Amino acid sequence: MARQRRFSGLAIHIVLALATGLTLFPMLWMLTTAFTPNEQVLSRAIRFWPEEPTLDNFRTAFARHPVGLWLWNALVVSVLVTAGKLAISVPAAFAFARMEFRGRDTLFWIIVATLTFPSIIGIVPTFIAVVKLGWYDTLTGVIVPSIPFIGFYVFYLRQSFRALPADMFEAARLDKAGMFKQMWRIALPNVKPALAAVTVLSFLGAWNIYFWSLLILESPERKTITIGIKVFSDVEASNQQWGPLMAVALLGILPVVALFFAAQRTMLEAFAPGAGGKG
Amino acid sequence: MAKRMTSRLAPYLFVAPAILMVLVFLYLPILVSLALSFSDWNFIRPDARFVGLENYRAVLGDTNFHAALRNTGIYTLILAPLQVVIPLLLARLLVRLGKSRLANFYKSALFLPTIIAFSIAGATWLWLFNPLTGLFNIVLEAAGFAPQRWLEDPKLAIWSVSATVFWKTFGLNMLLFLAAFTAIPPELTEAARIDGARPARILWRIEVPLISPTLFFVIVTTVLGVMDDLLGAVDVMTGGGPIDATTNLLFYLWEKGLRFFQFGHAGATTMIIAALIGFITWAQFKLLERKVHYG
Repeated sequence: MARQRRFSGLAIHIVLALATGLTLFPMLWMLTTAFTPNEQVLSRAIRFWPEEPTLDNFRTAFARHPVGLWLWNALVVSVLVTAGKLAISVPAAFAFARMEFRGRDTLFWIIVATLTFPSIIGIVPTFIAVVKLGWYDTLTGVIVPSIPFIGFYVFYLRQSFRALPADMFEAARLDKAGMFKQMWRIALPNVKPALAAVTVLSFLGAWNIYFWSLLILESPERKTITIGIKVFSDVEASNQQWGPLMAVALLGILPVVALFFAAQRTMLEAFAPGAGGKG
Repeated sequence: MAKRMTSRLAPYLFVAPAILMVLVFLYLPILVSLALSFSDWNFIRPDARFVGLENYRAVLGDTNFHAALRNTGIYTLILAPLQVVIPLLLARLLVRLGKSRLANFYKSALFLPTIIAFSIAGATWLWLFNPLTGLFNIVLEAAGFAPQRWLEDPKLAIWSVSATVFWKTFGLNMLLFLAAFTAIPPELTEAARIDGARPARILWRIEVPLISPTLFFVIVTTVLGVMDDLLGAVDVMTGGGPIDATTNLLFYLWEKGLRFFQFGHAGATTMIIAALIGFITWAQFKLLERKVHYG
């Protein structure tokens, strides 16, 4: 019996280690290719690590395309979309959790129901509106229409605000502190993990926006990294510039991977049972 | 008096920005899409004419649309079962390891591709799939097999794209299942284990019913998500080709409608896709929700 247990324990490790290896391998290959001189990249030799690591691929990439601007634009979009989402969903979630008012549940469901909307449903009119407002080919045109997708955030933050004990707010109420002050001074500092989870999820989501940026951003220097890499790959893959392409890919995943490791615990635990959602 | 007015208004001030954004950007456009789909409006000829069902007829009669629809169906049939079953099994194995450091490493590593962008995942696999210098063909040839045209062969391309998309998406469902399995009290499966029931039987008969709310949520969101998952990777890897072999509905919407500012056409495409999604989601609720055991 004990022996059988140990064996199945080993089998589990073998399966998981294999799955992990297969999963990490494409990223390892990206990393290796990015630091291998492009002539060697094309030599068909299998090297798991470059013999003479080089930054040449990065130099080539930056010399041929505005890669730095693509990264900067993606950062601007991600920070502002996240700030916008937090600015509208935090007060709403707080009101839904801790205030009594007529129509509260209806208004809450109006927001949460958008979780089930197909993402494409509003694309055509929103696109027209963005063009009419003169936001075509601007980051504003990407940022503003990306903010309203807050269904999950409002739902998740409301749960956190609800979990706070009522007597936490008693002293503030006796002091006649306004609701805004109660939210800012008392509620927010006590839901920091939830805020962190929401911030990270939103940042990751915004960094990876594809369709909307593809529609709105036209000039090469206005693109974000996710659509920039498409331009890069269209032009450079046929020139066999795989080293530089993987250098761009690596730069494109670096911020999110760094953020993921920094906020790992929060991230993995953000998906509590029942509160699961697709950001 | 004034004080009481503000305190009664306060909640609405808190929710107003969120409600306004959601109504203006998510609800209103549905109505506008519907209106557009019956018109021939574009930027070149600004005065719209009512054209009845003309756009719907054009979309439904378009062979590119048929290809997109058929492929989206194939993608869903390939991807959705994999995206549900494999994450479920991985999560079950991870739970067995408990809270060890190695388990944490597996969990983070398996989740890692999920956080990167589809287009970057697409570019990475484009390189692996390269027919001449890509790793897959080098390994195949070294092992004595014929090299494959992974993305150029119309029969193979849809599988290659699906592999990429699977790699980039399975982690999220794995985490959701992991949370659900972790929440099962051990005493519920203890008796069966002492009776000597095989693990597969315990999983199927006891644990899967216990996580059925999560399973249901995962199935519905996964089927809904396949279409959204496809655009970035397809765009970078194949551009929808060869000869429409890897195209899909979202790609079609962009290629045929938005790219050339054919808003009536795009509006009709949107409404058709939305109706399809709505129907499939409704069908899943009808068929599956009865089997879900809540709490």
